[in-house]
Amino acid sequence: MRRTTTDTDVLTEEAVETQRPWNVVVWNDPVTPMSVVVVIFKKIFGYSNNKATQLMMTVHHEGRAIVWSGLRERAETYCVKLQVSGLQSTIEQEQ
Amino acid sequence: MVGRHRLFVRRRDGRVEVRLNDMGRSVVREAFGHVVAAERDSEHEWHPGLNPPIDPGNDQDDPLATLSRQNDISTNAELAVMTLNEEFLNDAEAWAWLSTLQVALRSTAIANGLLSDEKLASCDEELLHFVNTLQRLLFELAECF
Repeated sequence: MRRTTTDTDVLTEEAVETQRPWNVVVWNDPVTPMSVVVVIFKKIFGYSNNKATQLMMTVHHEGRAIVWSGLRERAETYCVKLQVSGLQSTIEQEQ
Repeated sequence: MVGRHRLFVRRRDGRVEVRLNDMGRSVVREAFGHVVAAERDSEHEWHPGLNPPIDPGNDQDDPLATLSRQNDISTNAELAVMTLNEEFLNDAEAWAWLSTLQVALRSTAIANGLLSDEKLASCDEELLHFVNTLQRLLFELAECF
């Protein structure tokens, strides 16, 4: 028997869609000093020196790093703060 | 400016001492001035570097987020310009200097296509000197945080 789509199905799909977290991504560039990236991560996210350094090294070696995940509004706010500090950053929804 | 002494020193009272000579201050003045001008003038060559997309998958970038970014860049750059001749910076002023110098560095790189190590290595001497000077200023200022 073919099952028809119900309102509940649609609501559930929408809920899943909005629950998938948004990632803040920082991209590598060839000019920014590494220590500056660490300072910016510590200042904006309050990360420890170790965590900030680890993320900076991921950006350096892999070309990008997800530096924060969560709600879209907060992701946008963090993305703006990173851009205001001169780092290349974007947001993307987790697949 | 490019002596062996430190260019910025965090003092015990929390302030950051700026030890730049006239040449160093003029480089900083030029960088800060360009950031302020680029925020106000969409034709400025640095303008695209100040306005990247937030969500590249969405053609309509979030206007509120974009406005917030522009306001914050302007605020930092204007505070940096206002404190250009100060001998000591408080924490917020030092952060405005760091942010504005980094925005200037990134905008210079984008405006001149310096998006890879190879391009950076092959750019003209004057531009490379400017980039290296901004990098040194940033490196030393980051030590204060």
